[in-house]
Amino acid sequence: MTGPRLPVSSVLMTPPLLTILALGLAPLTIVVVWSFWSWDPSTYWIKPDLSLAGYAGILEAGRWTVIVSTLVKAFGTALLCLLIAYPTAYAVHFLAGRRLSIILLALITIPFFTSYLIRSFSWRLVLGRTGVLNTWLQDLGITNAPVDWLLFSNFAVVVGLVASYLPFATFPLLLSMRRVDPTFLAAAQDLGAGFWKSLTSILLPLTMPGIFAGFLFVFVMVVGSSTEVQMLGGAGASIVSVMINDVMRVANYPLAFAISTIVLIVIFGLVLIGNRIFGLASLFEDQSP
Amino acid sequence: MPRLSDLSLTWYAALPNDRALVGALQQSLMIATITAVLATGMSLLAALAYFELRAQRTAWFLTVILPMFVPGVIQGLALSAVFTRSGIKASSLTVIAGHLLWAMPFAFIVILTSFAAVRRSYLTAAADLGATRWRQFVDITLPLIRPGLISAFIFSFLLSLNEFTRAFYLAGRQNTLPVVLFGKMNSGASPVIYAMSGTIFLVSVACVALASMHFMLRLKLSPAGRALR
Repeated sequence: MTGPRLPVSSVLMTPPLLTILALGLAPLTIVVVWSFWSWDPSTYWIKPDLSLAGYAGILEAGRWTVIVSTLVKAFGTALLCLLIAYPTAYAVHFLAGRRLSIILLALITIPFFTSYLIRSFSWRLVLGRTGVLNTWLQDLGITNAPVDWLLFSNFAVVVGLVASYLPFATFPLLLSMRRVDPTFLAAAQDLGAGFWKSLTSILLPLTMPGIFAGFLFVFVMVVGSSTEVQMLGGAGASIVSVMINDVMRVANYPLAFAISTIVLIVIFGLVLIGNRIFGLASLFEDQSP
Repeated sequence: MPRLSDLSLTWYAALPNDRALVGALQQSLMIATITAVLATGMSLLAALAYFELRAQRTAWFLTVILPMFVPGVIQGLALSAVFTRSGIKASSLTVIAGHLLWAMPFAFIVILTSFAAVRRSYLTAAADLGATRWRQFVDITLPLIRPGLISAFIFSFLLSLNEFTRAFYLAGRQNTLPVVLFGKMNSGASPVIYAMSGTIFLVSVACVALASMHFMLRLKLSPAGRALR
C-alpha cells in the first residue's frame, strides 16, 4: 500500500465535484448576487446593481411573517415526526425479527417514494367534507355535521407534512440505533435498570446524533415544501416556497432571491452547527476498523 | 361514499387514450432512467473517494449532501436562471440536471451505508497478494456494495419520477408527469388522473417490494447478510 494515495481520491472526486459545482454552486452564487440587483416594476426587468431593495421587500406585505410561520411550522412538524418516528425506529430495530424488520422498513419507505403531489391530493379525499374521515365520524355518531376544519386548514397541512416527511426522521434514528452497542443495554438491565431508566440514560444520549439528524432533515424538507400547503392549506395559507413562486409571477428575481438567501442562511447554518455538535457524517460512516 | 361494487377499471382503460398523460409519462420514465444511471455512477465515485479520504472526509461528505438541503423551488428557479443566462434552452436535459443534483445525495448516502460491508482488511489482504487497485475494486468492493448500488438506482429513479418542483421550472416543451398532473388536479379532476396516480403508486410500491425481496433473499443465501444488521 505504498502507491500514491492522494491522486486516486482526487481522480474519483473530480466528476461528482464538477457536477456539484456546476449544478449546485453556480446557481447558489446567482441567487446571492441577483438578490442585490434592482428590479423595475414597470418593465419587469432586472439590472446589475448593488441595492437592498430585494431585502427591503421582505419587510413589506407581511412577507417576513410568512418566513417566521414557515420556520415555526417546520419546527413543530419536526418535533411531531420525532415523537412518532422514535417508537417506530425502536420497534423496527429492537422488537422486530430480521424478516419483519425488512418488511416494516419497506412499508416505512413507501411514502418516501410516492409523489408528494399524489399523496397531498389523496388527503383531500380523506379529510374533505364528504371524505372518509367525515363519513366515519358521522356514521359513528360523533358529529352530526361534517367537520369543516379538517381540510384546507393548518391541521390538514400539518397532517400532510408529517405524512410526507416522517421517513426522513425514521431513517437517521434507525441508523443511530444500529450503532448502539447492545451490550450496554444488556448491562443496564443486569444492573436492574427498568425500561425508562435505560431509555433515558443510555439509548437517548447515544442516539442523539440520529435525533438531531432526523429533526434537521424534516425541518429542512418542510421549509422547502410547497405542494402540501398548495393542496391542503386554507385560503391565503402560505409558506416560503409558495411565496417565492408568487413573487416570481412578476419575475421579481431580486426579491425572490433575497428570500431564498435568508432561507438558505438559516438552513446551512443549522446543518453546519449540527454537524459541529453531533457529527452528522459519523452516522453514515462504516464502523469497521 | 362509493361502494365496493362500484369498482371498475374504466378509467385505467381510458389511460392509454389520454395523449397528454402518456406523453408526459414517457418523458418522465426517460428522465428518471437517465437520472438514475448518472446519479448512481456519480455517487459511486463520490463514495469511493470518501472511502479513500481521511482528513477531509467530513468536508467531502457535507459537499456531496448539501444540495439535498436546498429547497426545490430555490434550486429549480436558480438553475433555470443559470440556464437562461448561458443560453441553454429548457429541455429534458435541463430537467435531468436538476434531478441529478436532487437524487445524488440520497444515492450517495445509500451507497455509503452499504460500504459498511467492505472491511479494510479484505482490501489489504488482496493488495498483499498482488491485486491492483482495479482488481480489488472489481473482485471485492463491487460485489460487496452491489445491493447498495441497486437500492441507489431505485431510489434515484423514483425520486426523479415523482419530482415536481424542479421539473416545474426546468421542463421544456414536454412537461413531466407530475407537472401535468398538478395542472389537471387544480383544474377540475377527471378520474383519469386518479387512475394515473394509482398506476404510479403501484409501480413505486412494486419497486420497493422488489428491492426488499432482494434483501431478504440475500439474508437467506449469504453469510455476508449478517453485515446488514
